[in-house]
Amino acid sequence: MAASLELSCWGGGWGLPSVHSESLVVMAYAKFSGAPLKVNVIDNTWRGSRGDVPILTTEDNIVSQPAKILNFLRKQKYNADYELSAKQGADTLAYIALLEEKLLPAVLHTFWVESDNYFTVTKPWFASQIPFPLSLILPGRMSRGALNRILLTRGQPPLYHLREVEAQIYRDAKECLNLLSNRLGTSQFFFGNTPSTLDAYVFGFLAPLYKVRFPKIQLQEHLKQLSNLCRFCDDILSSYFRISLGAFSCVNRYQQQIDFGEVHSHDSTT
Amino acid sequence: MSLVAEAFVSQIAAAEPWPENATLYQQLKGEQILLSDNAASLAVQAFLQMCNLPIKVVCRANAEYMSPSGKVPFIHVGNQVVSELGPIVQFVKAKGHSLSDGLDEVQKAEMKAYMELVNNMLLTAELYLQWCDEATVGEITHARYGSPYPWPLNHILAYQKQWEIKRKMKAIGWGKKTLDQVLEDVDQCCQALSQRLGTQPYFFNKQPTELDALVFGHLYTILTTQLTNDELSEKVKNYSNLLAFCRRIEQHYFEDRGKDRLS
Repeated sequence: MAASLELSCWGGGWGLPSVHSESLVVMAYAKFSGAPLKVNVIDNTWRGSRGDVPILTTEDNIVSQPAKILNFLRKQKYNADYELSAKQGADTLAYIALLEEKLLPAVLHTFWVESDNYFTVTKPWFASQIPFPLSLILPGRMSRGALNRILLTRGQPPLYHLREVEAQIYRDAKECLNLLSNRLGTSQFFFGNTPSTLDAYVFGFLAPLYKVRFPKIQLQEHLKQLSNLCRFCDDILSSYFRISLGAFSCVNRYQQQIDFGEVHSHDSTT
Repeated sequence: MSLVAEAFVSQIAAAEPWPENATLYQQLKGEQILLSDNAASLAVQAFLQMCNLPIKVVCRANAEYMSPSGKVPFIHVGNQVVSELGPIVQFVKAKGHSLSDGLDEVQKAEMKAYMELVNNMLLTAELYLQWCDEATVGEITHARYGSPYPWPLNHILAYQKQWEIKRKMKAIGWGKKTLDQVLEDVDQCCQALSQRLGTQPYFFNKQPTELDALVFGHLYTILTTQLTNDELSEKVKNYSNLLAFCRRIEQHYFEDRGKDRLS
């Protein structure tokens, strides 16, 4: 409780506190577990970082990667899972693996590889958040990283062709969404009435897919047909991330602070 | 496989029953095969045994290159070739045999999730240990992987494969992990499997499914393969219900059928 926790992550848009899946997972978990997180949104003063965003900084530690950040928060006694049984804890791990293997490639493809989406939405948005000259380099690097990841995990050596895997990854992603919808059923959260780690992960992966306006939207269309998953995202957004465009407190005009319950985001599109 | 090709294969598969001369191809058992490939092959063999389908195991040095997807094992049934457990399960289902038909939707989701957990953590950890841990690479992997080939091909192939695996590890974020962290992940995975299994005989109570075959393949191979140190098998041995699970499947599906004992 004593150490101040600062999270450096990508900012929000389209009604979300963050557009980046991994940042959103960490932010959601912090809300669920009650961790007092000071969120520093990446803006024009950012000079780049050694690790991958999101990054949690405390007085003595720098932690990157969502899994490690969540572990660190748990060790600091901010645990959203203490009501879960052992089997539910095991299920959490399994479903997170399912998300990473089946859903993540298609989400990465929708955001970073599909040319219409990338050039009209993703690249301009990310480039607008960071200073020149990083804005020229970083989005391209992230796009290549995403393509690499898809090809290396799904493609077939020695010739990695994207077209062959595209159909397969979207099919897997749709199946994964159906499985999640079946599992959620009519409950409010995945394990009972309080949100846990799995809810944070599912929210982090689904919410950007649900809310961001893309030209090529086949996966988004599929998600919108699964009404319980959409309801799940909307519930979390309205209960934990109430967005008030009017009142905000900021230290200087380049830094956004997210206090508990109030989020200010400069929404460029509706 | 593209969607059209897959639909086509399913149709052809449904037309014929399972033949007697179906064969499974893997690398050479004694000198060449590695931990991860052995685990995959054993998982497929266990699955086919559970479905009561006869299969003959054939060892070939170039099995990896013969496979349509580059991964072992693959099965040759009639005039079709299918590789990897996932597609093989689909193929067998098209022929009318399935282990998971009795499960409801939520259970099927759980089964798929746990199978991904095994692939995500256990398989990746095995690959890491084999190809990114310098001690194991030097002593075991390099020598085994290229053993059927003459110099300098054996070295070239081994280095090429190592480079490929390292690229993949880096892409999924395992490049910077230390061996201890990897072993911790294995422990977490085994703990999750152990908790899910509980005191039941199989993961979905009375009947085994493809999940049981996959878990058996990996755990049995980890327990019985000699590596530079025993840390990996120690992690599995901590969970007595997993050990009992492996023993049960081994006895029921491999020894009782009069097949050769698994080495």
